[in-house]
Amino acid sequence: MAEHVILFTGPMGAGKTTAIQSLSEIEVVRTEANNSERHIVDKETTTVALDYGEILVDGDEKVRLYGIPGQQRFSFMWSILKKRAKGMILLVNADNPDPIAEMIFFLDEFRELYDRGGVVIGISRADVVVGPTLNEFSEALERTNPGLVIPVFTVDPRDRDQMENVLLALIVNIEMREAFGMLSRTESA
Amino acid sequence: MTIDGNYVAGEPAPQQPGSFPVTVGWTQAAIAISSVMVLKTPVNLKMNIEMHGPLLIDFGRHAFSWSTPLEHFPLDAVHTGLETIPGGPDAPPMFELPGHDLDGLLWQIGLNSFDGAPAFWLSSGERYRLTRWPNLTQHSHDMRQVKMIAVLGNAYVSTPELATYSGVEVGEAQRLVNALSLMRILSRSAEAPAVPMAPETAATKRQSLFGRLRTRLGR
Repeated sequence: MAEHVILFTGPMGAGKTTAIQSLSEIEVVRTEANNSERHIVDKETTTVALDYGEILVDGDEKVRLYGIPGQQRFSFMWSILKKRAKGMILLVNADNPDPIAEMIFFLDEFRELYDRGGVVIGISRADVVVGPTLNEFSEALERTNPGLVIPVFTVDPRDRDQMENVLLALIVNIEMREAFGMLSRTESA
Repeated sequence: MTIDGNYVAGEPAPQQPGSFPVTVGWTQAAIAISSVMVLKTPVNLKMNIEMHGPLLIDFGRHAFSWSTPLEHFPLDAVHTGLETIPGGPDAPPMFELPGHDLDGLLWQIGLNSFDGAPAFWLSSGERYRLTRWPNLTQHSHDMRQVKMIAVLGNAYVSTPELATYSGVEVGEAQRLVNALSLMRILSRSAEAPAVPMAPETAATKRQSLFGRLRTRLGR
């Protein structure tokens, strides 16, 4: 059975679970528990293990969507999942105290996934707060990762159409990077 | 029409005695915008467009104001006037801020000007590469454009190479290059070498997840 694993990463409250719910064609498997870090993000519950959804492409071929916990204490899971993944959608909420630092942190953590696949960055809640502009996110990327042209979009994780655009941009970018011979072969994508 | 009101050949310009030369379409607007952006002087623009009211552009704040939503962007807009207005951080805003992100307007104007020919500020023999992706969740687009943008995000390519690699007509590729260039998110190089792309065979085309997922999602 062909499968393509896409990870949804980013800090707590960025909208990972919501984004997977928008895209998935099955009832999303959600694993949430009480949020013990309400001083950081005022959510009653948060993902502690995984969210899982999927899109059936053709026959038994699937795109598997995994949302992984944003807190660093779950980082042991990140290394397991990124080995299986083809690409990553990194969501960062614009009303985070330092959204650019969060973006850079997660990109560094998952850099190997960019090198052998691809990454798209979605800035959520950009419509409810005046945060950094997309240009500022892109400039920060250029400063910290010179030469990388990673797609950065504003997104509403609740909007299926927008999330489909993000997913398709991720996949076509991975295929183009492969066609230009830019992917490393350290892990099987 | 240039920024100072002189007519440039290429579009119909029915003359109205004693008034600004009327133009149809967006080529002259693209030229005016590009000219102002290159100058980097604190100047804003007001375009009068028949049936669609004034279009106000604040370059310093990268914003615009227009009563016509971009979903109803008029391809055959009749421009009846163009004014430059002093801008800069100390000048009073021309409209209630924050306005709309200018990128969305530049995307539409760039795609719908020059009739598929190169924008006048581009030179032959150049290759192009993205410096950042356009914000696709906010711009009306199709999947052929996304594929072209992905090509430009990963290699310096000429417009004909872009068309070949993306499977589109050269004119369609040129429109996208014009738009991204007007948005100032393309870097240009006359020296960048050609970057070979793995040939797309029938098998690789069939294997493209992008293609299959597009079909599956009806896009």
